[in-house]
Amino acid sequence: MSTVLQSLSAELADAVQSAGRAVVAIHARRRIPATGVHWRPGAVVATNHTISRDENITVTLSDGITVPASLAGRDPSTDLAVLKLAGQSLPTASLRADTPPRVGELVIALGRPGPSVTASWGVMSRVDGPWRTWQGAEIDSLLRLDLAIYDGFSGGPLIDGGGRVLGINTSALARGVPVTIPVATVERVVTELLERGTIRRAYLGIGTQPVRVPKSLARKLELTLDTALLIVSVEPGGPADRDGLLLGDVLLELDGAAVSDSADVLAKLGGDRVGRPLTARVIRGGQVKTLQVTPGERPQSQAA
Amino acid sequence: MTTPVAGGLAQELAATVDELRRMTVQVRTGGAASGAGVLWSAGGSENGGLIITNAHVVRGNQATIELSDGTAVRARVVAHDRKRDLAALEFEPYRAMVAAVVRGSPRLRVGELVIAIGHPGGLVGVATLGIIHAVESEGEGRAPRWIRADMRLAPGFSGGPLADTTGRLVGVNTMMQGGLALAVPAAAVEAWVRRAHALAAP
Repeated sequence: MSTVLQSLSAELADAVQSAGRAVVAIHARRRIPATGVHWRPGAVVATNHTISRDENITVTLSDGITVPASLAGRDPSTDLAVLKLAGQSLPTASLRADTPPRVGELVIALGRPGPSVTASWGVMSRVDGPWRTWQGAEIDSLLRLDLAIYDGFSGGPLIDGGGRVLGINTSALARGVPVTIPVATVERVVTELLERGTIRRAYLGIGTQPVRVPKSLARKLELTLDTALLIVSVEPGGPADRDGLLLGDVLLELDGAAVSDSADVLAKLGGDRVGRPLTARVIRGGQVKTLQVTPGERPQSQAA
Repeated sequence: MTTPVAGGLAQELAATVDELRRMTVQVRTGGAASGAGVLWSAGGSENGGLIITNAHVVRGNQATIELSDGTAVRARVVAHDRKRDLAALEFEPYRAMVAAVVRGSPRLRVGELVIAIGHPGGLVGVATLGIIHAVESEGEGRAPRWIRADMRLAPGFSGGPLADTTGRLVGVNTMMQGGLALAVPAAAVEAWVRRAHALAAP
């Protein structure tokens, strides 16, 4: 007689087994290997922070065979990296992109920090809207987990009770607390890394600092916000410099949205903004001035 | 999922836990409760009953066993293996009891639900639920040394049963390592008991 309890147990093990076929071990650092997911044919998703070298990377597949892999690209801002495998018939992960996870939903985190797959279980503890990593990348939704994490778990999938992948787990985006990068974000990053080898991000070439706008000035200029961004540096020859933003300008709005934090500026600088003008409102010489600035493509090594 | 299953799940879990509690004993040496034990064989007219626990749970060659119904009996340590962290204790059975049933097959699967029973912090018959975290590959024909479960066990769980959802014994809980619960596989315990008995026989 099969009871509900036994069925649940068997279904969890089935979910681990089926999803586990697309889970691989990645040997790209010292000490223990990390985990990766065979996301699209020949493309494995891993976490950037667990890949400490660009060459001599090998991947152990679910059938125990170890094969060489090449790095297609990394995106430190989302902590994702994509590796390419040559001629593999390994199954790809089954993705759950249509229905977002729900708080309280039973989930399993898989890892393969060695030859065999490992699992830990728990529930979704938080499901929220988009958020921004400390390096400025937008993640489509905040997914937090109530489950124990173990060494080598980063880069592994979070799966539902049916073995479908909800995202990629990492411990490097939120001070060691595990978060899951949702499927939508991973899809975007994988597509771009496979096409270009890098993630395109727009930039203005300014440094800012939040400042309080004096009450008298705010009244005079009919402003509603009391905090804005003082431009404290302008990269010579950079997009902002070319378009006439000046050191000492106080940035009030960008593309119609008030800015009071550098994150507000980053929010306007996705990869699709490169070459598309933004309207900037600034206070200059006691007057409000409107300018057009066209973001450029951020050079690789640059942080902001 | 369209039919509510949580209620049935809770009832079945409680029933399995009740069953497991009956084969879990408290092991005391020197007066203090020191851990749990598994009723390995209930004994008969000729043989004594046998309790399996961890070697680190028993000190000396005598112990007091408290059965699930609260009866305390004296037991004699008949085998003690520090390396495997296993000990066997023999006692005079005083009534019919149901001993643990070892799960021989099928093989354990990663993700499978498992239940541990123990006595942490003086609480008797505490249950906790987890999943199998890793199943060691049987390299070179060697039996796996540990079962690793994704569950948190306090010291009072040492020597107690790790069982599957049907209540069959899969291991003897032994220690926590790197956040995981480690249990000696039931098959390894079985082999050890056979060896220990062969040695003990005159």
